[in-house]
Amino acid sequence: MSPPPPASFEAIADQARTLLAVFIAGGHEAVSPPIIQPAGVFLDVLGEALRGRTYVFTDLNGEELCLRPDLTVPTCRLYLERHPLADQPARYSYNGPAFRFQPVSADAAHPREFRQAGIEAFGSSEREEADARTLTLVLMALQQAGLRTWKLRMGDLGLFAALLEAAEMPERWRRRLRFQFWRPEAFRSELRRLTTSPARSAAAVPRSLVEALDPDDPAGAESLVAEALDEGSIELIGMRSLPEITEGMLAIAADAKAKPLRQATAALIEGYLEVKAYAGEAPARLRKLVDKPDGRFAAAIDVFERRSTLLAESGVDLSEVPFSGEFGRNVAYYTGFVFEVLALSLGAASPVAGGGRYDGLLRAVGAPREVPAVGGAIHTERLLAAVGGNA
Amino acid sequence: MSAPLIFAVPSKGRLMEQTADYLAKAGLRLRKVGHERGYRGEIEAFDGVDVAFVSASEIVGELNRGHAHLGVTGEDLVRENIANASERVTFLQPLGFGRADVVVAVPRCWIDVNEVADIATAAVAFRRVHGRPFRVATKYVNITRRFFSARGLADYRIVESLGATEGTPAAGTADIIVDITTTGATLAANGLKVLDDGVILRSEANLVASRTATWLPETQKTCERLLARLGIAAAVT
Repeated sequence: MSPPPPASFEAIADQARTLLAVFIAGGHEAVSPPIIQPAGVFLDVLGEALRGRTYVFTDLNGEELCLRPDLTVPTCRLYLERHPLADQPARYSYNGPAFRFQPVSADAAHPREFRQAGIEAFGSSEREEADARTLTLVLMALQQAGLRTWKLRMGDLGLFAALLEAAEMPERWRRRLRFQFWRPEAFRSELRRLTTSPARSAAAVPRSLVEALDPDDPAGAESLVAEALDEGSIELIGMRSLPEITEGMLAIAADAKAKPLRQATAALIEGYLEVKAYAGEAPARLRKLVDKPDGRFAAAIDVFERRSTLLAESGVDLSEVPFSGEFGRNVAYYTGFVFEVLALSLGAASPVAGGGRYDGLLRAVGAPREVPAVGGAIHTERLLAAVGGNA
Repeated sequence: MSAPLIFAVPSKGRLMEQTADYLAKAGLRLRKVGHERGYRGEIEAFDGVDVAFVSASEIVGELNRGHAHLGVTGEDLVRENIANASERVTFLQPLGFGRADVVVAVPRCWIDVNEVADIATAAVAFRRVHGRPFRVATKYVNITRRFFSARGLADYRIVESLGATEGTPAAGTADIIVDITTTGATLAANGLKVLDDGVILRSEANLVASRTATWLPETQKTCERLLARLGIAAAVT
């Protein structure tokens, strides 16, 4: 794909007007969050790895700032400025530039400066309705801009969360698996470790200490750990306190005594991640995964089905939309519904639109409570290329 | 000479002496041109080479931008300062001096953290208690980011530290450090330990060629002559 000629600026602006008109008509107020954002918020929420993709700089006051790498976090911040208590529903739309460093030399599908047009809906507790409305509106905007054919892909991270909740294992293992979920390889090796030998081999830790630690006696454990440090003439330095180190040691002690994770449980988790089906058939496939579905997982399947029904009712044809248990595993802030729209001429590495539910993000950005949130964004340069390709 | 080979060597300190010794073994003597405190030089009785005496940390930049054809610099500095090193430079020969390991170190009192993977476990609990991710002090920002991301560690923040990095955990400004060490004595003196799998890079001084510099046939020939003298068989580009 050749880079768009400079003349396409007018075409992009034209297209943006079309997209925004659809969003505004759909009840999303147009907003314009600042391009320059505090870097800390992004790095805390999206992780240090994003720094490698973000233009971070320090201003003359020493404040660490960045050019926004996407518009979702800035729109969340704008919402919180208007509603610090995060107690009111709001629907926003936007169109503007975002910036990402591209490790390979920038090409037309991955420019370092690109324009995103999108919507976010905050505070609506009717989650499936909001999910369906978001995807429907994004598709409507794409269509209005001239895109005639596309491929939709869907997933639901709520299903995985529910499956993990239902699986029998200590909470600390669940926490570790949840933490590693976004990195398939690390996740797989963690799962393998838990099913074979959950005991962590800490050569530096005296066996006798591990054996002496009693998870039911945290106070006693603390003095045992303090003694061990004393004996090794190890000074307590840094911000992690003795109780925190003790908690870590207790987890090691508990792992050393724990029975491995049942093979069946691991197989169920892996089986779920391998599910690939058309969205319409996915619920039946998922129900078959477990003999005696736990309430939480069954409820999550119901949620998925309900959303699919709502989507079908608003005219989104799901008959050939692939669902995959793994889909959505690359952006750490999604918590539920996830989707991606591919233009046939652009390929899977360059979706024209994407989005999903991110119920934890507003709280991470500073909201005093958890706020239901769902959104979707269109990569406008790609859309223009795809539409141009159709013409 | 119309197209001299520009050879960047460290301008001071131990690294300069060791570079000079290395070249001397092949019978090559560096000599400054002009006044004694200048930054230009040549190799005695060896045509076509302009020696640039540059501070060690700047040599990488000179090679990356193609301002120098050859240079002596640490692998750590190359890996840190050039994102796509294999496209921009060629490592011709490790030189056996300037050895230093880039390592991940944590307080010794973290007896529950002994491998890189343990950091991830501790990070979950740490965030719950302190409401923030671990801070990692380092001057090797890029090396750290690549290493942690390859091991699936994402929940941390880098604090750039240009000196006395070993002291930051005790001072409370960072929790973990990534730094160079030769014997580990400084780390131990600051109450730190290297994680069992925490050696990121075993670095030493290297003879490095720039792939972005202009290599005229004449420059290339001079380089081949020089490498032959040093007993290096590698190709430059």
